[in-house]
Amino acid sequence: MASFQELVSRYHQKVYMVILGLLHNRDDALEVAQETFLRAYRKIGSFAGGSSFYTWIYRIAVNLAIDAQRRQKRNPLDFRETMDGVLEAQEETARDPFADVHDRELRENLIRAINELTPEHKAVIVLRTIEGLSYKDIGEILGCSEGTVMSRLHYARKKLQDKLSAFL
Amino acid sequence: MRDCENIRESIGRWLDGELDATESESITAHLASCEECRKARQQLESIQHILKTTLVAEAQQIEFLPFWRGVQLRIGHKTSWYEHALEWTRETFTLSRAAWLVPVSIAVLLAILSLESYIPGWREGRNSFASVESIDAYGRNVALLRQNESKTTVIWLYADQEGENETADEPAKSAPAF
Repeated sequence: MASFQELVSRYHQKVYMVILGLLHNRDDALEVAQETFLRAYRKIGSFAGGSSFYTWIYRIAVNLAIDAQRRQKRNPLDFRETMDGVLEAQEETARDPFADVHDRELRENLIRAINELTPEHKAVIVLRTIEGLSYKDIGEILGCSEGTVMSRLHYARKKLQDKLSAFL
Repeated sequence: MRDCENIRESIGRWLDGELDATESESITAHLASCEECRKARQQLESIQHILKTTLVAEAQQIEFLPFWRGVQLRIGHKTSWYEHALEWTRETFTLSRAAWLVPVSIAVLLAILSLESYIPGWREGRNSFASVESIDAYGRNVALLRQNESKTTVIWLYADQEGENETADEPAKSAPAF
């Protein structure tokens, strides 16, 4: 159990980030992150070591998050509300008040634009952004080819660029 | 212009380090001389930066001990057979697997239908043989032929000629009525 605790302490924030990027709701993300480690604990025997541990745990996390998102019938604006604390905390450290307004607007619009992507497109953007994972690793996590990862990333970035061009 | 379009298609992969050395060099050279493409690159980098800083700031608020206690509680919680069944169903019947159900169902249906030609007597109760009934109706005979498969009924009406010609073996010919 101590070694499993060590694994949880090493990966819990990263797993939480990936799930939050997909679900956009803190409470749901926390619940799904804990469920991810429960599944990992139960299935640790099936982890053959053919892939690295992080791709394995991210695969469980992404699958659970996508499942949860499909069941989720909440208002997508929840994320904006739950993220307000973070945005305010980050503004306190900024110096230029005009830059604050611009940054806040940009973040809010980015969040809204990401919310409009499909779970599969969100997953590639989040995995690439947070961990800088290779297309091969992302493909392994999502169960698709590198070519699919590449085209999904291109599409998702294009969408985000189009929606945010006024703020960038 | 065409060159810029091609470059912008590849800037994402270039930022991700997924291009080979030659392609990478040509993009670097183009960016040095094209302001529009430099702007596209800067936009992509800004998007990545903002998303990452937002999520990292969120994740830093998650303390390990309460999180670990939550995981421990889940591990200690005994799941019912119903939860196990639900979990098994959810994991087994994924969308990609469900897609196989259509061709598999068609194959099974075709196999069942083709059994008729391999197993004699299969579907005997639903044979397509015609049945013939003969009804004596006050000197006028009626014969019915029913074929189940084609849902066809043929009715013959013919006069009884026994009295007129005792030696006649065949019934009188008459036109069938439908």
